[in-house]
Amino acid sequence: MITKIIKKTWLALFTSALLLVTGCASGAELDTLQPQGPIAREIDNLLDPVLIVAYVVFFLVFGATIFIWWKFRDRHEDEEFPTQVHGNTKLEILWTIIPTLILAVVSVFTLITLSSINSTDTNEVMITVEEESVLWEPEVVVIGQQWWWEFRYYFDGLDGVDLSDARNLPPADIVTAGQLVMPAGQEIELSITSRDVIHSFWIPALNGKRDAAPGRVHPWKLEADEPGVYFGQCTEFCGLSHSRMRMQAIALEPEDFQIWVDEQLTDQDSDLITNEAVSRGLTVFENQCARCHVVNGVNDETSIGADLVSNAAPNLTHFMSRTTYAGGIFNLYEPDGTIDRTQLEAWLRNAPAEKPAYAEGRRGMPALGLSEDEIDDVVAYLETLGTIPSSFIIQATEVE
Amino acid sequence: MTDTMSEETPTEEQRPLGVYTRPKGGNGWRDWVTTVDHKKIGILYGAAALFFFIIGGIEALLIRLQLATPNGTVLGAEMYNQVFTMHGITMIFLAAMPLAAAFANYLIPLQIGARDVAFPRLNAMSFWVFLAGGIFINLSWLLGGAPDGGWFGYAPNSGIVFSPSVGMDFYAIGLQITGIASLVSAINLTVTILNMRAPGMTLFKMPVFTWMLFVVQLLLVFAMPVIAVALFLLMFSRQFGANFFNTEMGADPLLWQHLFWIFGHPEVYILILPSFGIISEVIPTFSRKPIFGYDFMVFSGIAIGFMGWGVWAHHMFASGIGPLSVAAFSISTMFIAVPTGVKILNWIATMWGGRVKFSAPMLFSVGVISMFTIGGLSGVTHALSPADTQQTDTYYVVAHFHYVIFGGIIFGLFAGLYFWWPKVFGHMLDEKMGKINFWVMLVGFNMTFGPMHVLGLQGMSRRIDTYSPGFGFEAWNMVATIGSFIIALSVLIFLINVVVSVKRAKGQPPCPPDPWDARSLEWITPNPTPEHNFDEIPTVESLDEFWHRKWGTDDEGQIVRVATAEEVCQDGTATGVHLPSPSYWPLIFAIGLPFLGLGLIFNLWLTLPGAILIVVSLYAWIFEPVDDPDGPHGEHHSDKEEVSQEASDV
Repeated sequence: MITKIIKKTWLALFTSALLLVTGCASGAELDTLQPQGPIAREIDNLLDPVLIVAYVVFFLVFGATIFIWWKFRDRHEDEEFPTQVHGNTKLEILWTIIPTLILAVVSVFTLITLSSINSTDTNEVMITVEEESVLWEPEVVVIGQQWWWEFRYYFDGLDGVDLSDARNLPPADIVTAGQLVMPAGQEIELSITSRDVIHSFWIPALNGKRDAAPGRVHPWKLEADEPGVYFGQCTEFCGLSHSRMRMQAIALEPEDFQIWVDEQLTDQDSDLITNEAVSRGLTVFENQCARCHVVNGVNDETSIGADLVSNAAPNLTHFMSRTTYAGGIFNLYEPDGTIDRTQLEAWLRNAPAEKPAYAEGRRGMPALGLSEDEIDDVVAYLETLGTIPSSFIIQATEVE
Repeated sequence: MTDTMSEETPTEEQRPLGVYTRPKGGNGWRDWVTTVDHKKIGILYGAAALFFFIIGGIEALLIRLQLATPNGTVLGAEMYNQVFTMHGITMIFLAAMPLAAAFANYLIPLQIGARDVAFPRLNAMSFWVFLAGGIFINLSWLLGGAPDGGWFGYAPNSGIVFSPSVGMDFYAIGLQITGIASLVSAINLTVTILNMRAPGMTLFKMPVFTWMLFVVQLLLVFAMPVIAVALFLLMFSRQFGANFFNTEMGADPLLWQHLFWIFGHPEVYILILPSFGIISEVIPTFSRKPIFGYDFMVFSGIAIGFMGWGVWAHHMFASGIGPLSVAAFSISTMFIAVPTGVKILNWIATMWGGRVKFSAPMLFSVGVISMFTIGGLSGVTHALSPADTQQTDTYYVVAHFHYVIFGGIIFGLFAGLYFWWPKVFGHMLDEKMGKINFWVMLVGFNMTFGPMHVLGLQGMSRRIDTYSPGFGFEAWNMVATIGSFIIALSVLIFLINVVVSVKRAKGQPPCPPDPWDARSLEWITPNPTPEHNFDEIPTVESLDEFWHRKWGTDDEGQIVRVATAEEVCQDGTATGVHLPSPSYWPLIFAIGLPFLGLGLIFNLWLTLPGAILIVVSLYAWIFEPVDDPDGPHGEHHSDKEEVSQEASDV
């Protein structure tokens, strides 16, 4: 109770100061003190009382300093000395033991929380995969690479899946990028790894962070109370565009999640072609983009890779069902649900100008030298890939 | 070199010893480059460290300018990554460590009653090697790009594939060079403290400053080899295609992290303990009381030195080291707060009931107590490993370690600068400007780093070159940027203070020997300290020897003056004290090292001049005569002193 009050005051203090300075309400999408799921809440509950103890200690020390300044400041000119105290063993023992005891108590709670957030408590979810019911233990493979995140879903479970070489993974049921889609109210197990350098996967509202390291698979988990869009940012320095490596976790109601799964599982082959522009766009895609990007039904992961250090570029199947691209830094849609073509075209025209990358070092998307007509065609083609997500997701993606 | 030598040495026949001759002491730049005097070396360390401190500060201002507004364009991602990497390297290895070395070099021999360090030429070598390393790392700006993998240089991002510029090569080799300097200096000072104390100065009569520096030297002796190994692995990986960090060949990228932090965490205590030592001298002096709980102060320092080796993996709570390791390091980290807390409480108890004069050095010391406490407490929140997974690699951590490194270390070093300035230069720094210096720095510091706590808890990641609007980062980043310029202003005030005070002191006699009513042995020498330190090596009877020579107690237990400072202090006029002779070779040796580095990076032929310089200087060093009758104090000296001199001139 007291913790809540003090925390509220504290937050209010900072927020009000913030409001004073900015004059407007500001976002809290990445706020670590506003947990939106049980794991993050547990962490927050561990921190809060310690923050209070820390405040008390600080004000005692600070108060003592102020008191000394007020009481023991030298105001005299004579040479008189204060009592020469050399020490006090009892006092020393006292102020060694008291902090030790406080910290011992804190340690116990730390260990309890630590063990709790490292244990898994997942319930299997019944989902339909290609008209067959599957008991899916919700697991998502998370792969970091310069400078975007990939998410892979294996509905048969990860038991037989070899994740030791992230650059050469077995085919997955769903491969998506930038946005991790998951059912709300359900603990999701993550297996985090990397295709190049060390990254760190972090959705502050749902859990702390866990590094993605090449050659290692790190377990982690997420859980959201409610459907929503939860923001994240790579937090281990991973080179040039580290700041532009972002992601979201999108939690959906179980039935919406099923709809999402159904959509993602459909291939996107040539029968999507409705007009000439799309057809030309597909040709450009096959000639240029398909060297790195996969669209299920057009090509597959075995046909790509050689062009990039990480052996992977975002899988673009059902591209339009996402709301961000290019490592989560651009919004695909305006708040009203129309496509932000200007940004998408600029990205296709000259990607390195939009997001720093070492394209010549085979890291990041290069400028492909497409003509304006080709760019229009590719956009027309991309528009056929998937359906627009629900407006609540589009609006929640907006942070500005 | 032969020319210079023949210039300085009239005829070979007059030289009684050795085939090589040693330069004579004198004035001007030649004296500075050949000096083996621990005091001059200390001043050189201090000047170089302040220079690099300003460079690192300019880098910090650039970082803050880039982050002042969202989508900043001041630096751009590529330049930003180099600037923040160099800011870290510069501040840690080229500013904070050598500034502590400056105090250590200047003060340890004086505080223990010695004429110099154990190995004077090695001491000179340490400085020149450090300077060569510092210049070498900064040459990368001109020769193809500065390091861009962070000061922590995590593999495999620091590898040739992901950091193809020469920057990380300069990092690997440059830090290796400065590492040699630290290691050699640590051995030198360890031997000095163990073997060269004045008669009567037992270990537990040493001032707390010397004690803390002693712990630091031992930490350095064990920590520097670890980073040396890590840097060699990195260098071999980058230069010769070794696979230590090549995950495709089965390497584990966490190897680097373990090596780096096994060095890196003791490094934190290497940085903070000198500051603790400094304020442990300043606080008793200005409280007019002895340090409270001397034994506990010393033992808590030693405890920190030991426990500092058992906490490194708290830098890796998110690295995936497994819950058991996390639990162990969580607990060890928790309890290292205890000895640190003991220190803080002892400083407060020292001031408690005193008659405290809040002069500039004291203000900076009280600044350390309160600011470091904030850093220490936020450190405890990191020890809560689950909470740390939210905090690590965010601005909350940036705030935390700046409260430790700036609030704890830089404030402490400034306290030392104001406190010992008269000892070193023979005149006071302006007290009023010193106080303004403190308050401006305190305000700027809290404005810069205080908001970073909030930014971190709001989810702002570290090492990002920019951020988008809308996450609530805008306001506090602007405040922090304004604060950083206020810090810059405070440093400027310090520099102006130095210039004004030096000008004012010109033509004036040196300030009186004991301006602060100080306590420890260095103040028994006149200001500035004469070249030979002590006219006569004092015999030590108690802790705070100097104070006890001035003050005694009467029958009623009242403190009464038994002698004035002028009576107690030596006048520095002794002649015939034999001192180690200057030498060229430490400098020549140091010049050779960067050539080895440049050779490895650019063209192996460049290693040839480097190797020649090193081999020649080492041989010449060995064959240099141990004694030079024409040295600066080359009059006849007693046999006893000659013996002690030869022992120390190895």
